[in-house]
Amino acid sequence: MRSSSRKPLSPEAKALLDVMPTRRGLLRGVAAGGALALTGGALAACGAKGKNPTAATSSAAKVCATPDVSASERKLVFSNWVEYMDTDEKNAKKHPTLDGFKAKTGIEVTYREDINDNDEFYGKIRTQLTECQAIEPDVVVFTDWMAAKLIKANQVAKFEPTKVANFQKNLAPSLKARAFDPEMVYAAPWQSGFTGIGYNAKIVKTPVKSIDELLTRADLKGKVSVMTELNDTMGLILLSLGKDPANFTAADYDAAIDKLKKAVDSGQIRRVAGNDYLTDLAKGDVGACIGWSGDVIATGADDENVKYVIPEEGQMYWSDNMLIPITSTHASNAMALIDYYYDPKVAAELAAWVNYICPVAGAKEAMKDIDPELVEDSFIFPTDAELSKAHAFMTLADDVRKDYERKFRAVIGA
Amino acid sequence: MSVAPTPVAASAAATGAPATGGLTLTGVTKRFGAFVAVDDLSLHIPEGSFFALLGASGCGKTTTLRMVAGLEEPTTGAITLGGADITRMRPYQRPVNTVFQSYALFPHMTVEQNVAFGLQQRKVKRAEIKPAVQAMLDLVQLADYGHRRPAQLSGGQQQRVALARALVNHPQVLLLDEPLGALDLKLRRQMQIELKRIQTEVGLTFVHVTHDQEEAMTMADTVAVMNAGRIEQLGPPTEIYEFPASAFVANFLGQSNLLTAQAQGPSGADVAVEAYGSRFAVPAARSRITSGPAHLGVRPEKLHVTTEVVPEGHNAVPGVITDSSYVGVSTQYLVRAPWGDELAVFAPNSGTGGPLHPGTEVTVHWHPAHSFLLSAESGAETAAEPV
Amino acid sequence: MSAVVTTPAGTAGGDTYEPPPEPVAGAKRRWWVPYVQLFPGGLWLVIFFALPVALLAQSTLWDPAGSLENGYELTWRWQNFSDGISTYSDQFLRSLGYALVATILCLIIGYPLAYAIALKAGRWRNLMLIGVIAPFFTSFLVRTLAWKTILSDHGWVMDVLRMTPFFGPDDRLLATPAAVIAGLTYNFVPFMVLPLYASLGKLDPRLLEAAGDLYAHPIKSFFRVTLPLSMPGVVGGTLMTFIPAAGDYINAELLGSPATTMIGNVIQSQYLRVGDIPVAAALSFTLMAGILILVAIYVAVSGTDEVV
Repeated sequence: MRSSSRKPLSPEAKALLDVMPTRRGLLRGVAAGGALALTGGALAACGAKGKNPTAATSSAAKVCATPDVSASERKLVFSNWVEYMDTDEKNAKKHPTLDGFKAKTGIEVTYREDINDNDEFYGKIRTQLTECQAIEPDVVVFTDWMAAKLIKANQVAKFEPTKVANFQKNLAPSLKARAFDPEMVYAAPWQSGFTGIGYNAKIVKTPVKSIDELLTRADLKGKVSVMTELNDTMGLILLSLGKDPANFTAADYDAAIDKLKKAVDSGQIRRVAGNDYLTDLAKGDVGACIGWSGDVIATGADDENVKYVIPEEGQMYWSDNMLIPITSTHASNAMALIDYYYDPKVAAELAAWVNYICPVAGAKEAMKDIDPELVEDSFIFPTDAELSKAHAFMTLADDVRKDYERKFRAVIGA
Repeated sequence: MSVAPTPVAASAAATGAPATGGLTLTGVTKRFGAFVAVDDLSLHIPEGSFFALLGASGCGKTTTLRMVAGLEEPTTGAITLGGADITRMRPYQRPVNTVFQSYALFPHMTVEQNVAFGLQQRKVKRAEIKPAVQAMLDLVQLADYGHRRPAQLSGGQQQRVALARALVNHPQVLLLDEPLGALDLKLRRQMQIELKRIQTEVGLTFVHVTHDQEEAMTMADTVAVMNAGRIEQLGPPTEIYEFPASAFVANFLGQSNLLTAQAQGPSGADVAVEAYGSRFAVPAARSRITSGPAHLGVRPEKLHVTTEVVPEGHNAVPGVITDSSYVGVSTQYLVRAPWGDELAVFAPNSGTGGPLHPGTEVTVHWHPAHSFLLSAESGAETAAEPV
Repeated sequence: MSAVVTTPAGTAGGDTYEPPPEPVAGAKRRWWVPYVQLFPGGLWLVIFFALPVALLAQSTLWDPAGSLENGYELTWRWQNFSDGISTYSDQFLRSLGYALVATILCLIIGYPLAYAIALKAGRWRNLMLIGVIAPFFTSFLVRTLAWKTILSDHGWVMDVLRMTPFFGPDDRLLATPAAVIAGLTYNFVPFMVLPLYASLGKLDPRLLEAAGDLYAHPIKSFFRVTLPLSMPGVVGGTLMTFIPAAGDYINAELLGSPATTMIGNVIQSQYLRVGDIPVAAALSFTLMAGILILVAIYVAVSGTDEVV
């Protein structure tokens, strides 16, 4: 969840929003017992529909030919994470920057906050994309590793450089030449963020300074939560082992898994949390946790006991990226939208509302006109020194990720 | 033990000795809210008798029975059994068993298990239970049905299981709550005889609640007719039938022709009665009153119709036949008297002469010893319609 | 039947009623009629039950090296089962254990409640029934999240428990097996109460009077009459509780810790996170088969068909 500093939801409502789609998306038959097993199987079966299971497995991905009707249909559907867009103070359905886009281009945007989880949302659209069947969204937002996965699977449309000139020009230097999109033609960062440590000073009297402390300090025993996203949790543990999350070996990973396992087995780790980690932290059931900068800072604004710490070992740096699904019939409209958000003024307007790192160069200058106080906010416009302590997680091949994911799940109990 | 006052004593108990054992109710009242179900009832049922509580539904007879069983608690009054006060005892502590109207057989148990239930609860030795159960099933002629479940039995068989289940415990009193109500007529007659046979064999005190006057009369030594929570009359069936105590009893038990009359005082061995301008005589021994407003009663089968001469000494009323129903064993006539009321007459089919037709002018007559004189003060209004 | 009819047809308007002769079984009706009548139900079963189960069964034998993007190969890999069972035996046993404990607790809580509603509530009966069903009007998730607040380290339950000698300042309920079982018990108690209520509602109170009349103390009456006659409700309720509880993952996810994950959590993460469809399917299938076997044994032992 990316939450706003302006209008935070109640922790319960937030937690609810966070967990609900996971449940809705997969095993619907919780109350129906045996149906649980059935549903899982049915989904599994549907997932492989149209495939000849006995056929050879490699490079089955098709290249879809999708017409672009953008010229005649001045509209698009934008699927984003909840609380990730500037919102009118009075009318929660109005988004000033989107209205600006409509005014500028005449393109009508249907905005949906229907993404809560990378895996879960991809699970919903995966089959259609694989089969070159149309899905509704023309712009979707996925975190780096999932974006990389879609790019690799030929499931996103390539940008036409002329139509995303702002993006290619104004993308923050630290985000240029990313391994999964070196030419900046597939994934345009929407917002970026750090993963570090959050703690509640009411419960934890001594500040938690490092990942090592988080995983071993005796006074934190049974009060620590880590995240279900592999990149966040394992990235920080790799850092604590002195490894570079952007470039590590299988042996490094195994060592990190061992370290996590010790912390789980000793009872140091109380929970492996999804997006609802913040509720636990705010309530004090969790004293210290792995958390996302924007979330923790926003909560800290309401409750001074909740604090975000950049671990001594460094923090993880990630982006959520706008992608155009390969089956989108409004690709040009979508590119216009992407380019619009790379106008520094628009980016600053958005950044002033969303408390995450703005990926647009020049937005810092534009911010002076909007909210001068935020210009020096290092969690919106981090300094180079801060960025130097931030690390990206390396892009993994599908089978490697599966293997790592399996090891990670085995340690956290599921 | 006859310590308790027994205002209404059963006069012809089978044992003739109400002194030992027996069931005594003293001043028992049961109220449900404002409704008085049983009103200051006092009653003694001698040990070994077959006692019937007869009444229409809602008269309090079942409530009385349930108080004896312990399923209801009296509002006031006392119940003693064999001299011991059982008024506040829990049902499972009382040496009393009930045959329920619905039988209430345990559907999940076999017939044997149903019958053995009470003995098991009383911790009778296992070795003794089996023969006792078998003997009881023999008695009710269900020896081969022990392993069946109640649902696999006919209504009559279920009824006998219910009976066996209660009897096997040798209760001091066996309560029967309309036990034959669910059976068809033929089976009911058969079971009546059987119940009577069993009661004679085992010699227990039976208290039988029924609304069927014929059933009560067939089986019971003593019948108590209940009405509105009170006992109207108690005695042997013949006494109640031949000489009812009230207009209610006269009409509830069988059928009666009741003439509104005025008793005019004793006249020799008779009481002189005037009704509708005519004078009649009723033997003093068959008169509840000697003067004042009265009902002169005659049972329909005691009336004769004739177109000829009335025998000497009979009372007579002229009339016209308005209806004639031939039912084989007898012919039932309705005869309109001069004052407009109709008299019911049952003429036995003795083979002499054919049925008379409606419109025939006849004389209805009866022997004075066959009539009875009741007080008109109470009961007449609530009397049940003639059946 | 025709042999019974002794009066000639011409006198049918006479004295006694003769029922019309029944059609002779099997002779005139076409043999296929029953099958046609079964067709809609059968089709429904095939589409919504048999087919998914068959597809699930097939996917359990895929080679896990595949992916949804690239397709899976059916290699009859029975190892998926042995892998899944051996790797996740802890979670399997935990699921069955938690579900069993929760079911027993549901029975202990639900029986007196159902008994009170069915036999003692009188005019409050409908209100109490609504009370039992009312939680269904809120989402399963919200209810479980509420338990998170109730059992919180800083909630009133823990404050009270810490006053007892059994709980030290660092002990907790949340993120323990107790919390998961409490959540399961709470969430599934209505599934226990409703069948029990239906069963006890059919109990003839006169049978209890009869038992009392036959010298049975009320406690004895309960065990000899009430309980045996409510066995269909007990069996139904325990199944309705145990089966979904064994497959649940929400309670373990929200109220548990890494040490309390259940098989439902594993299936979820294998399917959604790891993307190992064959193993997820094999685990689902094993869970389903395991529960079916347990249920079959249970029903056979409890002998519900005997009870009226």
